[in-house]
Amino acid sequence: MTALISFDHATLGYGRRVVLSDISFDIPTGDFLGLVGPNGAGKTTILRAILGTLVPQAGTVTKASGLRFGYVPQRDSVDYNFPLKVVDVVLMGRYDRIGLMRRPSRRDRDLACAALEHVGILDLADRPLGALSGGQKQRALIARALVGDPNVLVLDEPTTGMDLVSTTQILGLVRELHERDNLTVLMVSHALNEVANYVERIALVVERGFRIGTVAQIMTEETLTQMYGIPVDVDEMHGHRIVVARRPPLEPGARRHA
Amino acid sequence: MLETVLLFREALYGALVIAIACSVLGVYVVLRRIVFVGAAIAQLSSAGIALALFLGGLGVSGLTAHPTAFAVVFALAGAMFFGLGGGQRAGVPPDATIGVAYAVAAATAILLLAKAAGGEAHDILLQGNILGITRADTLVLLAVSLPVLLVHVLFYKEFLFVSFDRETARTLGYRVVFWNLFLYFTLGLVIAFAMQFAGVMLVFNFLVIPAVTGLLLARSMSGIFTVAVLSATVAAVIGFSISVPFDLPSGPAIIAVSGVLALLAWPMRVLQRR
Repeated sequence: MTALISFDHATLGYGRRVVLSDISFDIPTGDFLGLVGPNGAGKTTILRAILGTLVPQAGTVTKASGLRFGYVPQRDSVDYNFPLKVVDVVLMGRYDRIGLMRRPSRRDRDLACAALEHVGILDLADRPLGALSGGQKQRALIARALVGDPNVLVLDEPTTGMDLVSTTQILGLVRELHERDNLTVLMVSHALNEVANYVERIALVVERGFRIGTVAQIMTEETLTQMYGIPVDVDEMHGHRIVVARRPPLEPGARRHA
Repeated sequence: MLETVLLFREALYGALVIAIACSVLGVYVVLRRIVFVGAAIAQLSSAGIALALFLGGLGVSGLTAHPTAFAVVFALAGAMFFGLGGGQRAGVPPDATIGVAYAVAAATAILLLAKAAGGEAHDILLQGNILGITRADTLVLLAVSLPVLLVHVLFYKEFLFVSFDRETARTLGYRVVFWNLFLYFTLGLVIAFAMQFAGVMLVFNFLVIPAVTGLLLARSMSGIFTVAVLSATVAAVIGFSISVPFDLPSGPAIIAVSGVLALLAWPMRVLQRR
């Protein structure tokens, strides 16, 4: 498979501070990759390097020519105070194609409606974005990412703050988009348990550590214990892998609170 | 009463130009939650004028004959500073930087004026002198406001996108810093010119209250712009018409009417939501 994005011994950081050093991996066409790790470990740094907003301090990050990202930001980075209809927000995904000093055409609006239909919320097109539920907002932002006809769909913490039902529906939708449209997907998340049961590969980022592999390769007690630095158990339930951090034993003499 | 108002119609035209230009930019000011940036830029602009008057009092020739130039330079420098994050990189919260700029600029203007001109100059900077606007002043205001409004019509998409979701705009190749600075530049330019006639208080009013009225009554961006411009225009006309025959200061009268319009919009919003 052709590599859309290649990290070749890339060192990433800000100013003089190095966040991750000497990382090499490819994201091939049709990949469904979860970029997972605790907060502050460097997920966003890798994401910025992929999106091209951060230049590596050393090594290279190369992208296939004409590569276009459909970006779904963290929900709280969008200002819902703006009185924008859902369809108007989706249209933003085509602003760069529409060009400077030009208004969206009838065709742009049709494409926006088609994207909303694709994610199952066409009936909400004329509702204010701020009036939607968390899951519906996320669908609207995914529709905006899709309307620009991207090669890679990038989602930044798509389920943060969502309830179980919405989380399951959003992750199900993303997997559906990957399988139905053969879309390359990169999903950034701190929630290993959520991501591991949907993606095909995992890039695990911990402080000063990076490892990438298939879900089966990464989701082992040995790998996770080594990477997180705490003992973990990996169990399987109804075909789902579940990671549980082992609870440290009580100190002798410590009182158990009711 | 009408005759008295018509006597000052040139001033009213000038006030309307300021009202329309500031209320359009005010939509971004309110939605981006940077209302006090508007106040700080206006105050910086007044410090620029005060410096010009002070230097003039010392007998320095050249630019001191053009306080507008000082107002524009100070306002644009402030706009660029706030547009670039206003000290965030140094770890100072943005609102604290705005507060510092406002307080220091206000104090500087008062100190400079105390040694430069009569005591009434400070009142003029704060309250403005709407009634003193001449046809030539209105033409100057139009020469600044029309291009700025045209820029906002032409680049509406870009200003909206970087204001609403800068991260996504960046991934689509938008030069977010440039568009942000461009928006602040237009804001600084309008404030610098409007401030000289309307004063800090009235400019701040036109930047905030009409947009808030728009936010309360409208459900779309075009609706907010329309309501903001209409309410600013209505407030300017009514406030002006009341102030002239009753010998009230025009700026505060216009602000009072703006406040009443916003208060009337409030229950309408509540009813809309039911």
